[in-house]
Amino acid sequence: MASSAKVAQQFARQLVTLSLVDGSVSAERVGGVLAYLEKHAPANAIAVLKAYHRLIATEVAKGEAVVEHAGPVSEAELASIAAALSKHYRRTVTATARERPELIAGLRVHVGDDIYESSVAAQLAALEASV
Amino acid sequence: MSTVLEQIEQQIAKLSSKAVKKNTGNIRTIADGVAKIDGLSDVMYNEMVQFPGGAIGIALNLEETEVGCVILGDISKLKEGDEVTTTGKLLSVPVGKALLGRTVDALGNPVDGKGPIDSKEAYPVERIAPGIIVRKSVSQPLFTGIMAIDSMIPIGRGQRELIIGDRGTGKTTITIDTIINQAKINKVGLASGDKAFRPVYSIYVAIGQKNSNIVRTIAALEAAGALEFTVIVSAPAADNPANQYLAPYSGAAIGEWFMENGMDALIVYDDLSKHAVAYRQISLILKRPSGREAYPGDVFYLHSRLLERAARLEGKGSLTALPIIETLAGDVSAYIPTNVISITDGQIFLETDLFNQGIRPAVSVGLSVSRVGSAAQIKATKQVGGKLKGELAQFRELAAFAQFGSDLDAKTKAQLERGGRIVELFKQPAFAPLPIELQVSVLFAMQKGFFDPIELKKVVEAASSLKAFFTTRKDALLAEIRTKAALDKDLEAKLQAACEEWKSSFAA
Ligand SMILES: Nc1ncnc2c1ncn2[C@@H]1O[C@H](COP(=O)(O)OP(=O)(O)OP(=O)(O)O)[C@@H](O)[C@H]1O
Ligand SMILES: [Mg+2]
Repeated sequence: MASSAKVAQQFARQLVTLSLVDGSVSAERVGGVLAYLEKHAPANAIAVLKAYHRLIATEVAKGEAVVEHAGPVSEAELASIAAALSKHYRRTVTATARERPELIAGLRVHVGDDIYESSVAAQLAALEASV
Repeated sequence: MSTVLEQIEQQIAKLSSKAVKKNTGNIRTIADGVAKIDGLSDVMYNEMVQFPGGAIGIALNLEETEVGCVILGDISKLKEGDEVTTTGKLLSVPVGKALLGRTVDALGNPVDGKGPIDSKEAYPVERIAPGIIVRKSVSQPLFTGIMAIDSMIPIGRGQRELIIGDRGTGKTTITIDTIINQAKINKVGLASGDKAFRPVYSIYVAIGQKNSNIVRTIAALEAAGALEFTVIVSAPAADNPANQYLAPYSGAAIGEWFMENGMDALIVYDDLSKHAVAYRQISLILKRPSGREAYPGDVFYLHSRLLERAARLEGKGSLTALPIIETLAGDVSAYIPTNVISITDGQIFLETDLFNQGIRPAVSVGLSVSRVGSAAQIKATKQVGGKLKGELAQFRELAAFAQFGSDLDAKTKAQLERGGRIVELFKQPAFAPLPIELQVSVLFAMQKGFFDPIELKKVVEAASSLKAFFTTRKDALLAEIRTKAALDKDLEAKLQAACEEWKSSFAA
């Protein structure tokens, strides 16, 4: 049981390596992988596809920064965030803005499983926890 | 005043600092106090992670695609998909004198209903043990108050002495006696105003025990007035395995504070067999490969890294450890017992047979050793008790031999008589540790033959009469033995005279 899940996981991981171009997910490559799998379905196709899906989702998230903000954020600011993150992670990171009034003021940026927090709401929460 | 300003400045610094980076993940599965988490790609081994609702986890398994965490605290509200964040901190517990007299859980939270603990410092739960250079050899005694131990298997400060035996052989009682004895010595020493006196503070870690047992232990300590010098770390059987796994390390951190701050401390781990079982349970849930007796491969490291933290440090204090191991049918060659025996500086072996014969404490003198403690024994005990171990061993041999024939020569008979009396003298009720000066007096009386004319059955009675006589009438003499710690001609004469005086009063 456990070992077949592991095999699926390993196979999916290889497929992910094939799906990347310069460290970012390539839609074209993913299409190719899917077409191949359709023709040569492995024994545990569902498990492989599920693992593949999760890993690709993780990879995609690494390249897409979500900038949550309260108050206005200009296009230039977004671009500079994207540039800074791309430099930091050494891969192309795009940035999209999402309005979040509950942050009160400031920003919260998600990239992959990292979060950069500089919102007033988080500072208030930290202050509340410390007193 | 300035500290207040500093505090405010720190607060400002914290708030105005730039973006805080956190690493997050989501719970994929959660069961039996262990969560498998997606994400958390930056987590460190043993790092604390934060679950929603205040629960804390510790990352124990770092795998390619998931992180295995044990969860401390309430897990009933956690569910799949919940967000988990790293904290960048290793788990730590509050330390300091404010914990004395208190009962805390594995995280250092008070569980005795006596209100919050006002501690100013915290120490990490996992810590690298002191290296070789900073260690000093063991040379100061730690009196257990148990005559059989102090005279034949002496323990020194900074030593690790294992207490091992089957169920219900009096293992816990020996350690509680030792804690009570420290409290008694502390009270006398602190009242004497002696600047050189070094009190010993105790930490009792209860792992996987029934709550009722822990309550009984606390009550015994309280009744003996020992609670004020003791910290109790409690991870009862009903606690989740993660807490039971952590409790000894938390206790060690609390003990290290005393050691690092120039004080002496004693820590009891009751017991490490249950600790190993809790660790096995966690490891099985984490699906780590298991080896002998289904324990994971690193179970040796589990206890070695804990016991190595006991030490005596150059220019600082000491931490003495009394780990307890429970055996099955006296089998010391099982996996966990052999491991712990190999890490400690000796063991006190308790035997069911002796216990059932009424020889309590049921210390098996032949199988017990202390590899470093004799360097710490005071001279007076060596003078009156130096030959005891040999005498007892000979007695055992002769007694076995004597069963086959009745016609024994006078010398053998005398040896048997003497041996039987030593065994009787070493009997001691629970929670009644004996000050070292009284031990010396009793052994002196024995060596000088004062118990020889007394019927074997009456020896226990005679010994308690002698103890009572010395405590009520010979206070000054006892104090002199205590402070001189060695018997010179003058003291020996005084002891002899006192014993004669007792003899006439006892016979009368
Ligand atoms: N020196 C003693 N004299 C008389 N009774 C004793 C003595 N030592 C222990 N006992 C009694 O023996 C019983 C078992 O003692 P204790 O709980 O210390 O053993 P244990 O080995 O820790 O047991 P467990 O395996 O259950 O933890 C207790 O009821 C205790 O009061
Ligand atoms: Mg016990």
